[in-house]
Amino acid sequence: MSEDFLVVKNVSKSFAGIQALKKVNLVIRRGEVRCLVGENGSGKSTLIKIIAGVEAPDEGEIIIGGKSFRRLYPIDAIREGIQIIYQDFSLFPNLTAAENLAFNYLLQKKQRSVNWKDVQKIAREAMKNIDVTIDLNRRVEELPVADKQLVAISRALLHNARLIIMDEPTTALTRKEVRSLFQVITKLQREGISVLFVSHKLDEILEISERVTILRNGQNVADGDRSEFDRNKLIFHMTGREIEETRYQYVPRHSSETPLLRVDGLSRQGSFANVSFCVYPGEIVGITGLLGSGRTELAMALFGLKPATRGEIYLNGKHIHIRNVQDAIRHGIGYVPEDRLTEGLFLPQSIGNNMVASVIARLKKKMGIIDPQKRDHHIERWIKTLKIVTPSPTLPVRSLSGGNQQRVVLAKWLTTNPKVLILNGPTVGVDIGSKTDIHHIIRNLAQEGIGAVIISDDIPEIIQNCNRILLMRRGRIVEEFSGDQITEEELARKMIGGDGSEPVSSEMAFV
Amino acid sequence: MNGIFSRNEAFVALIILGLVLIIGSINPNFFTLGTLYDLLRSSVVMGIFGVGVLMVLVSGGTDISFTAIAAFCTYVTSRYLNSIGFEGSVLVAFLISGAIGVLLGLINAILISSFKLPTLIVTLGTGNMFRGFMLAFIGTKIVTVLPPGMIRFSRTEFFPVTTLIGGTNGLSAAVFVLLAVVPVTWYILNYTMLGRGIYAIGGDRVAAERAGLNINVIQFFIYCYVGFLAGIAGIVHSSLVRTANPFDLVGTELSVIAAVVLGGARITGGHGTILGAILGVFLVIIINNSLIMMGVPSYWQSAVIGMIIILGTSITALQSKRESRVSIVDNQ
Amino acid sequence: MKKFFVVMMVVFLVALLVSPVMAKKYTIATVVKLDGIAWFERMREGVKKFAQDTGHEAFLVGPPRADAALQVQIIEDLIAQGVDAICVVPFSPEAVEPVLKRAMDQGIVVITHEASNIQNAHWDLEAFDNYAFGAKLMDYLASYMGEEGEYATMVGSLTSKTHMEWITGSVERQKEKYPQMKLVTESPLECYDDQTRAYENMKELLRTYPNLRGVRTSASTAAPGCGLAVEEAGLQDRVHVVGPSLVSLSGQYLKTGAVKVIGFWDPADAGYAMNKLAVMVLEGQEVTDGMDLGVPGYNKLRMDGRVLYGEAWVFVTKDNMDQYNF
Repeated sequence: MSEDFLVVKNVSKSFAGIQALKKVNLVIRRGEVRCLVGENGSGKSTLIKIIAGVEAPDEGEIIIGGKSFRRLYPIDAIREGIQIIYQDFSLFPNLTAAENLAFNYLLQKKQRSVNWKDVQKIAREAMKNIDVTIDLNRRVEELPVADKQLVAISRALLHNARLIIMDEPTTALTRKEVRSLFQVITKLQREGISVLFVSHKLDEILEISERVTILRNGQNVADGDRSEFDRNKLIFHMTGREIEETRYQYVPRHSSETPLLRVDGLSRQGSFANVSFCVYPGEIVGITGLLGSGRTELAMALFGLKPATRGEIYLNGKHIHIRNVQDAIRHGIGYVPEDRLTEGLFLPQSIGNNMVASVIARLKKKMGIIDPQKRDHHIERWIKTLKIVTPSPTLPVRSLSGGNQQRVVLAKWLTTNPKVLILNGPTVGVDIGSKTDIHHIIRNLAQEGIGAVIISDDIPEIIQNCNRILLMRRGRIVEEFSGDQITEEELARKMIGGDGSEPVSSEMAFV
Repeated sequence: MNGIFSRNEAFVALIILGLVLIIGSINPNFFTLGTLYDLLRSSVVMGIFGVGVLMVLVSGGTDISFTAIAAFCTYVTSRYLNSIGFEGSVLVAFLISGAIGVLLGLINAILISSFKLPTLIVTLGTGNMFRGFMLAFIGTKIVTVLPPGMIRFSRTEFFPVTTLIGGTNGLSAAVFVLLAVVPVTWYILNYTMLGRGIYAIGGDRVAAERAGLNINVIQFFIYCYVGFLAGIAGIVHSSLVRTANPFDLVGTELSVIAAVVLGGARITGGHGTILGAILGVFLVIIINNSLIMMGVPSYWQSAVIGMIIILGTSITALQSKRESRVSIVDNQ
Repeated sequence: MKKFFVVMMVVFLVALLVSPVMAKKYTIATVVKLDGIAWFERMREGVKKFAQDTGHEAFLVGPPRADAALQVQIIEDLIAQGVDAICVVPFSPEAVEPVLKRAMDQGIVVITHEASNIQNAHWDLEAFDNYAFGAKLMDYLASYMGEEGEYATMVGSLTSKTHMEWITGSVERQKEKYPQMKLVTESPLECYDDQTRAYENMKELLRTYPNLRGVRTSASTAAPGCGLAVEEAGLQDRVHVVGPSLVSLSGQYLKTGAVKVIGFWDPADAGYAMNKLAVMVLEGQEVTDGMDLGVPGYNKLRMDGRVLYGEAWVFVTKDNMDQYNF
């Protein structure tokens, strides 16, 4: 038996003339944790699809367990023990965890009837494989994300998986949950199961992988042991350029300046309490904390999505009330939401329409008809300023990459000329190149006099871009740091709760 | 199987119980076997429809053509059986009508699976088409003399009792049709991979595809089965009213859907149980058939029915909202 | 060929000679709510008979669906064709007002039926006064009930003007002439013109009022619905159903006695009478209170503003039901 479980040899694939993969090679050994790294559009997902048999390669060879396949079908891949855990887990939210575990299994067995005792038995055995316990009789939609992922992993194991491909598995997980996922991966590894970990989160890659394969523009650019890489090397290979990680320098203009935004004793029942802070023009203030610490709720309150129930908000020293989104927009507060897909964009609509969506009222001529010239001028200007890569603003937003989509969301709010911009997880799901660009945009805006508030748990992002950092825990601001005062490690430790021993469940209990 | 008796069903059952107690306290005549017989008989047609609607809703679709299918099937069947002078059993009528229903359901299924159109739009179109075809090419004349088999069926009653007014009342044979449809559908939905597949595609279509379910086959089954049930319900309806009226039934589809939703099914798919659907139908039927007994003035009756439905659905909705809120917090 | 030509010429000349002697021939359209249903098929018979009897070109049209807009369209087409008179049974009187006004502006004679509140018509012809019809039905119900006992009333919907007038006529007659009878329903029950609903209502009435002796229905489908409930319970001799309906709908229950009397008016006569009235107006004859149209039931018209009321009601029991095929 060879040591290599999967060998992808010189695989190429093109879609409609565009070369997605060029003679790509990938070797995964038995029981190895391999990271597949690359920016969006680097060919990662095409490669996964080819390994899963969903797409057929134009040329090249795939060897699984010594068997060579020119054309691999999904059923072959499954039979050879390849299982994919998609980003959305592909679970049935309306069915119980137990049924989710057993469903695909019974389907493969071509069962026609369902014996519920068997379902329970299959499910229990599946969970035993990874040594975790979750309530099997709860519906998956009621489970926390981490548990959903565990269900998806155990389901994969039911099919005698030899290789589990995890596509961006940590996107929706808290740090604690990432830890336990890594434990599960280590356990799988001990049992001789290989894991292909697809990600662009550098810290995680460096932590979990044994070996790393980096793709850029559909080609292998680096391959080797983890020990050969560090953050900067990874970034260099992924982006093809040296990206310096600099810190934002805030220069106060006048010491007597009134704060752009002042929040005093802001509270909302069950979400956050007694939050006070200021933002001066040109400042980028970071608010960080674990999921459930109240940071997202605070952002939503400032934008009127879930208004605060107590406390004062002052803009330029003037007391204002924010009871709904319209109030916030009127006072010049912009909001870039966490989940741009459902909150920030109208995906099927054109890029241009999305950009002007929040200023339609200002583009109206008499009779309420939109002035097309004014509109196009607007759109052109922001596409240029934000370097949005698209052949035409008439294409649907859906057609853009994550980074470009996020820029459209930014444009949508920048058209309103906001005084304060609240960015909730501005680079979630955005690749490194775009991430840096978006950070530059935010810095430029701040230098022009906007007050920016970044809400994020991406520690490097917060430290590099914010001149002041507020740490939230259990709905309160517990500490404040200056951006160049604190290291990533320190902040990470403080986020989890001082000494890091505090259980996550107590965070939950608060909300 | 997440508990046969979920929270939502227990809730609807509680409303029914409360309602029954209120009606009974206002008018003690309500507590008779005759009343039960009447209510059961009234529930049959809506109940059969409700079972079909439930299956469609669970799969994530919407069907509003089933009343048109039912009217079509029973009208064509009655006219055909009369034209050949058929005097045999009602089973033949059920068979023919059910078969026509399957055919019409097949048309729905073909349109839905081959053109990938939204089920609501397809069934809105086909419903009108079936009805229009019937009125234009088959006839508009109401059949008032049904085939003898259907009349015998409608006259078949069990366990007769004497009513307060001095007449007799028995348990209609039609009730047994519902009693057959319910467990069969329940079995399909809960104990076959096909049934679980219906829940699966209603829960997450993409996941279902990735799991290797053949969604087309499942959809063909669903719409043909619903067509079949509509055909059966049509014959039951005609028999019970003793006329085959081509103008009948169409227009009641939304109240059936409302009843099923009241019983916990969700328009968005994936959720709902047979028991819930039947309880929802019972609730609506009890409300509809007790306002006179409660002495609600007739100009208030529509309003009262509307209020109870809104109350019922909003409490169910609130409940599911609370559930989902819990899960959001968990996610975080 | 030549011979044929000659014959044609002769026929043509004779026609030319004769025509001034005969009265002018008019084109009269009768527009109904819905084409193809039994009621208006019966009306068509009357219109055809009128055409045969008088030689006028009279015909009946209607939309294939019960739709006010389609009916308006048909009337617009008829105006364009330049018919002499239009007789309308409007689906919704309000909806046809504008188009009827246009017709009248073009000199077309407009007669309506079942639309006593219409504004744009020369005359509205009603088969009978609704209150009087209701009173008549009450007389029948009272006689079956022995002029005493509890009874209930039912309408299609509380907003149906006609149904409410029928019921009001009945209830007023009962209060005035049959004091021993007692109305148990404060306001009429609604059956939404649905036979099943009428049946359910009847069942519930039987449960609620053990002393119920009669029901006055309104919608044509209500009598058979109530009749079925009475028949199933075997209460034909105790509970009496009386109301407007048609033999085609209620025949089987008339036969068994589950429905005692149904009342209606004959659409054939109504169609005939409307056309006749149209010709009178076209010929400039005076329309007077109490005049006779020479159609059964329309022998002594009562004039009330623009509305003419006949007494063209027909009451049917199991003894005379065979005379009516609709």
